Amino acid sequence: MKDPQEQLDDIRRQRSDVENHLIDELRAGKISRREFMRRGTVVGMSFSLVAFIAAACGNNNSGAPSPTATVGGSPTPGGGSVKAGGTITVSEISPAGAVNPLTVADEGGLATLGQAGQYLTWSNDKLQLEPVIAESWSPNTDGSVWTFKIRQGVTYNDGSTQLTADDVVATLKAHSDPANKGNALSAFTGVLEPDGVAAQGSDTVVCTLKAPNGSFPYLVSSDNYNVIILPASYDYGGDYTKSFIGTGPWKMSNFNSQTGVTYVKSPSYWQQGLPYLDGFSLKYFADQQPQVLGLQQGSIDVIAQFSAATGQALLNDSAITVYATKSSAHRQVHMRTDQAPFDKKEIRQALALSLNRPDLVSGLMNGKADLGNDSPFAPAFPQTDTSVPQRAQNISQAQQLMSQGGAANGFNVTLYTWNGYEIPQLAQLIQQAAAQIKITIKLQVQDANTYYSKYWLNSPMGITDYGHRGVPNVFLAAPLLSTGTWNAAHYKNPAYDTLVGQYVAAVDLDAQRAVAKQIETMLLDDTPIVFPYFYNHMSASKPTIAGAEFTGMGHIRLTKAGLTA
Amino acid sequence: MGRFLLRRLGLAILTLILLSLIVFFGTHVLPGDVGRVILGPFADARAVAELDKQLGADKPLIVQYWTWVSGVFRGDLGTSLAFQQSVSSLLFPALLNSLKLALVAFVIVVPLGILGGIVSALNRDRFTDRAITITGLSSVAVPEFVTGIVLIVIFAVNLNWFPVTAQAPPGSSLLTQLHYLLLPAIALVFVLFGYIARITRAGMIEALDADYTRTATLKGLPQRTVVRRHVLRNALLPTIAVVATQTGYLIGGLVAIEVLFNYQGIGHLLFISAQKKDLPVLEACVLVVGVVYLIATVIADVIYSLLNPRIRYGTAE
Repeated sequence: MKDPQEQLDDIRRQRSDVENHLIDELRAGKISRREFMRRGTVVGMSFSLVAFIAAACGNNNSGAPSPTATVGGSPTPGGGSVKAGGTITVSEISPAGAVNPLTVADEGGLATLGQAGQYLTWSNDKLQLEPVIAESWSPNTDGSVWTFKIRQGVTYNDGSTQLTADDVVATLKAHSDPANKGNALSAFTGVLEPDGVAAQGSDTVVCTLKAPNGSFPYLVSSDNYNVIILPASYDYGGDYTKSFIGTGPWKMSNFNSQTGVTYVKSPSYWQQGLPYLDGFSLKYFADQQPQVLGLQQGSIDVIAQFSAATGQALLNDSAITVYATKSSAHRQVHMRTDQAPFDKKEIRQALALSLNRPDLVSGLMNGKADLGNDSPFAPAFPQTDTSVPQRAQNISQAQQLMSQGGAANGFNVTLYTWNGYEIPQLAQLIQQAAAQIKITIKLQVQDANTYYSKYWLNSPMGITDYGHRGVPNVFLAAPLLSTGTWNAAHYKNPAYDTLVGQYVAAVDLDAQRAVAKQIETMLLDDTPIVFPYFYNHMSASKPTIAGAEFTGMGHIRLTKAGLTA
Repeated sequence: MGRFLLRRLGLAILTLILLSLIVFFGTHVLPGDVGRVILGPFADARAVAELDKQLGADKPLIVQYWTWVSGVFRGDLGTSLAFQQSVSSLLFPALLNSLKLALVAFVIVVPLGILGGIVSALNRDRFTDRAITITGLSSVAVPEFVTGIVLIVIFAVNLNWFPVTAQAPPGSSLLTQLHYLLLPAIALVFVLFGYIARITRAGMIEALDADYTRTATLKGLPQRTVVRRHVLRNALLPTIAVVATQTGYLIGGLVAIEVLFNYQGIGHLLFISAQKKDLPVLEACVLVVGVVYLIATVIADVIYSLLNPRIRYGTAE
């Protein structure tokens, strides 16, 4: 039998340049085992393969994917064991609109889609990609063509339809077609067009991109939550909730747009022996408070998402299991860079320096957030270069910058935002912080619709909420590129645009992180947007439930969940 | 009686037309446009404009009003912007739910409130009167979502006697449904008991002090008969008016309670449709609540007139 080193050499001969580069990085100690596992899964190596390579390279620091334990009953992600059978109740905020795979754009909607529906890949709570409908995937040398091997022997939850590569092609075409005005276009525009998707035989799908993209597998993962794989015959103009067709472990037994969905186990599910539960009901709530009370009382088993403010009682309750998933979800405080008073970077820096971020995190988020450093590179992203110094409150420096910017006596400005989550409180705290450097902020807190339709892109200053993404690409592009469609700060910097181009095209982590450092430094200096914090996605359950998986995006996966044995 | 009813109905229809105008123009004054609501905040402005055109949202308001009102007359309440399903498929189940909750609360609070008022009045200025009045006033002063949370924490979370939500699972028996509805109904009892008891008490005291009561007492009738035949019949007139207006509130105004108990009634629907700027649903909800108020007042007027011949024969004053 060959020793591990020989086996590794064999493996390396079969892998692409990108994959070998990654292995080199691991060997040279440039990346940790955790990062290797994550990047390895992105470029299409299987979990067992990355684990083997990591072991063969003798690098054994932390970062294995979620451990599984098999004591007693059935294994669950995160350890613990469960018994088969039983039903549970999960609470979820009501979907904001019709549950239509094309248009869903909110947490209630995506959590509903992700039960009967499955994605090519699953972006887990550690931002690692796991194979689902795609068994494996690999890029060409420059990351402009990605090939996905499609799992065979998958039957939809109607019990008869077989999944084919054509279904995947049809799904990707539907979501990348501008004519369908789908929500997934926010990720696909400029990357994938319907013509770029083709099947090769019955088990392979090839995506030819508009430009090289090292993170493409994330764009077809659960992060791009609309893109559940549906049969080629599916009518996207139809009513998804009539059938809830999908390859997932559940099928719908009852749906009511107001009260929720009841799911039962799909007998035709492709993963042997799964799911463990007989079914579950996803109950919709208009508000968080009743969900918290329901979990405390016991009529709810799992809360898919709650905020630190409303769920204070859960954080202090030892009889409740709280899951805090690191995410890249955040608030952006934009300052309009093409107009006085924020057209001078000294003034913008001064405002950013007036904030006491650790206080914001503990006061608004109960400590369940990471500090932001005024760029989209959240600490949760492995691409983030953490050597860039964290911006901290410094009032005297801020006052000095105000003088340099010609505003020693301060000025008045209006901050526009909307009334949701902790945003109004954040606005007040910014108002108080800015007062220390003589900036008088008037608050205009609107409802979401008014803010987004009237003020968001036309305000001197504003606060906008951004949901989680598995990679920073959308955050780097839409709100900050000169041509960005959500560029509320009206930030235009050709050097930045070039760097983002380089970043997106970079296929290996080393290259990405090198560019990330330049971007982080540049944005810290220019400060078009203050990123005060990146908050955790919080879920909770009774301690008798194990194996429920949550993502920063707001998915809840119960395939391996059950009642503890 | 016929003429009275006819006049009352005529007024009701006029009120309804006015209401429809206020509802429609009121909701359209709200900022934000329809296309934006459907396509979401991040949609392209051109796509929004195009959708507005398709939906007729770019037409003059008066034209839109006519389209809406003529639809309502044909029984077509339109399509929900958020849920892409007919408004009636959302509205009528919600109305039915609200009626159930209102009925349970009504059955508890009206007799209780009236009884409280009567006992208060008969024990005027004594301890029992003070106790009932103070309890009633304090419970009215506490907002219903506070009462609701306190009730949930005590009776559902700690004692586990009741469920935390009011929505019974589909297909539940009447008794189970009643069990689910009891806690929110009790929260409503706290809100309404004070009102009803106070009004009944005032009416009772006025009637007890009236000459006809003294006459009845002086001619030797037992107190029970005096109260039942002479006092109550007159004393309850203002109570009926209050109960009628509160019926409208019970059916359409329970936004906080229905949201807190996650109960899919009209109040809950009003809340989410306002949140989602789902104008067709919002308008239909407000209209239905208006109609409920109108029906309740017409019924109250009829009962009032049956009890009070001065109104029935139009000879008052």
